[in-house]
Amino acid sequence: MAQAPFSTREQVDFVVIGSGAAGGIMAKELSSAGFSVVVLEQGPHLKAGDFKHDEWGYDHNENLAWGARQGHPQTFRKSESDVAELSPRAALGYAHNVGGSSVHFSGNFWRLREIDFIEASVKGSIAGTNFVDWPITYADIEPYYTKVDWEVGVSGLQGPWDPPRSRQYPCPPMPIKSPGVLLERAAKQLGLNPYPAPVAILSQPHNGRPGCIHCGFCNGFGCEVNAKSSSMATMMPIALATGNCELRTGCTVHRIDTDEAGNASQVIYWDEDGVEHAQMARAVVLSANGAETPRLLLLSESAQHPDGLANSSGYVGKNLMFNGYSSVAGLFDEEVNGHKSIPATRVVHDFYELSGELGFYGGGGIDSRHLSRGTPMGFALGGSHFGGPKWGSEYKRNLEREFTHSAAFDGHTTSLPLASNNVSLDPDVADKWGRPALRCTYMDHPDDIATMKFFYDKSLELMEAAGAISTTGFYPQNGQDGNVHLLGTCRMGNDPESSVVNKFNRAHDVPNLFMVDGSSMVTSGRGQPTMTIMALAFRAADNIIQAANRGEL
Amino acid sequence: MASKSISRRSFLKSTGVIAKGSFIVLTTPALLAACQRAEENLSSNDATFKTLSNIEGKELRAIAARIIPTDETPGAEEAGVIYFIDAVLSDDREDEYARVRLALREIQTTSAVKFNAAYFSDLTAPQQDEVLTEMESTSFFATVRYLTIAGMFSLPEYGGNKDKIGYQLIGFNDAHAWAPPYGFYDADYADKGE
Repeated sequence: MAQAPFSTREQVDFVVIGSGAAGGIMAKELSSAGFSVVVLEQGPHLKAGDFKHDEWGYDHNENLAWGARQGHPQTFRKSESDVAELSPRAALGYAHNVGGSSVHFSGNFWRLREIDFIEASVKGSIAGTNFVDWPITYADIEPYYTKVDWEVGVSGLQGPWDPPRSRQYPCPPMPIKSPGVLLERAAKQLGLNPYPAPVAILSQPHNGRPGCIHCGFCNGFGCEVNAKSSSMATMMPIALATGNCELRTGCTVHRIDTDEAGNASQVIYWDEDGVEHAQMARAVVLSANGAETPRLLLLSESAQHPDGLANSSGYVGKNLMFNGYSSVAGLFDEEVNGHKSIPATRVVHDFYELSGELGFYGGGGIDSRHLSRGTPMGFALGGSHFGGPKWGSEYKRNLEREFTHSAAFDGHTTSLPLASNNVSLDPDVADKWGRPALRCTYMDHPDDIATMKFFYDKSLELMEAAGAISTTGFYPQNGQDGNVHLLGTCRMGNDPESSVVNKFNRAHDVPNLFMVDGSSMVTSGRGQPTMTIMALAFRAADNIIQAANRGEL
Repeated sequence: MASKSISRRSFLKSTGVIAKGSFIVLTTPALLAACQRAEENLSSNDATFKTLSNIEGKELRAIAARIIPTDETPGAEEAGVIYFIDAVLSDDREDEYARVRLALREIQTTSAVKFNAAYFSDLTAPQQDEVLTEMESTSFFATVRYLTIAGMFSLPEYGGNKDKIGYQLIGFNDAHAWAPPYGFYDADYADKGE
């Protein structure tokens, strides 16, 4: 077989579009199995040495996430009857770089549980929603969760509510921080069961990577020592070392072509200089994330596929789920210093499934954090946090105290799948390439908002039990206007009429096209979807390799 | 969870929808003259700054010094916030610069209306605070507040936060590595063997 680099006119075995949480795993698995793989990534190949504690660069300039400034505007509206308006910041947030958002995420790594896969049949359907069971169960995915634990690298300790695992975590939990102590003590007082947060950050050396140095810049930042288990740090180096994988950065895919038989035949993209190329492939893996994956399918419409590629169900882009959230902060007598080390060290999962007697569907978890991510600029912009002026001498005094003496308990909750929450092509706004911009339509279901309120109230109760002198908090009671969890937009299912991919991530309509990323998720889980995105990718890759070896691709 | 920068979002929201023209209707000739004088001087630049004119620099410096004042501890002045503002508006940021100029004009207009002064920087500190207090809920104030705080607490390489004065102010030590215990409660937890 030919070695990388490949010619675009050479039919490689796989083109993988996107190198993020899922794409990195697909590239590594397929190339390690001996297949020729071309990975197309929009962003640059940043590495540990490129990252800094740079709030202005990442938050204001959007150096990682990209937005209108970089030529990628997005629009947002709450309802399909509204005209979407330009979002001040990308409503559908994700990073443009090798490793995708696994580079700058906070690293919280909750597995889904048995209930997540069968919840609709256990709880019953919910009128007006597309709430259904997954076509797979926890037992189907468990071996792949364990593969993520060990190959990607996860630190943790099996908790009282965790689903069964076939192997223990490779790394012990991260050291507890003061916000974690405050949550643990408060939760115990209330008769709850706090335990160490599982994270994709190494507490000790693993697979040739070092343990975390606790610098505190995880959420929104790239790890400067490769202790965070991103696809960039863990999967892409292995893929590239096989000699079977070619990574092309700065490449923006705008179309997947199909042949007369309806199979994906080539991937059309622009390189960094705007030159168009067409890469031929035997099969295409689309791992562009829950926003860009449906967008690319919709952009790939043709006479054969008038509503977009792989969209005979009409479900491409639909059922977008964000996960809900709430945040409660407390001010304490003694030093908390939540800005040191990783975001979350303790979780409370006693409310994973809320009782039906409450009158709404929902569930989630609470973890301990620092206020405003613990980074100085973001923290100061939000101050005074506990009442008081927003500028002047008293503001200064408040910041001095609040930065080192506060903790936050954050809720992470379910989102119901709704056809009216979706990703589509904006009819009026175009990106720098002239393609229709991403348009997001989203309004949280009333049950989702009730769930966020439940977690807000519960976190407040915990914060008071923790002994906070003063508290403050927020949940999006009028609905969210954006998120970084982009789930459900090419859902998996057994029925081609109500799903886009089958239970092994293969498009129902296009036999050699696979959508592998957050778009496959049928339900939202309780937040922290990356663990599941990665496990689904390992599972899809396993199946694709078996199919290819049987000559079925 | 979502990595959100709510403050920035509100900054962009507030500055993106600025109404055309002044929000205070100018009625008296004296005020008009004062504002015109300020306007004329806005564009002169003798290279103290890369982007800002001298008078813009002087005005923004004065505003920043009220938002994060110098008192028992250093403030925006000592941190060189004005050099941050000048630097970040230099680099292909016409839109943001235009918003800052508009904000400045509105602050000057309020100064003129309240104290018959052409420049905010000519007012006494209590007068300056009165002007800013009156404008506290406007997008114009949000714009200058955002830039001042960003200049105080962003990496020094952007021009502000000189000697990491901002970090020291809030007890943030920009170390690249920490080891437990991090705070009082986890030290106590370890002591008690919880």
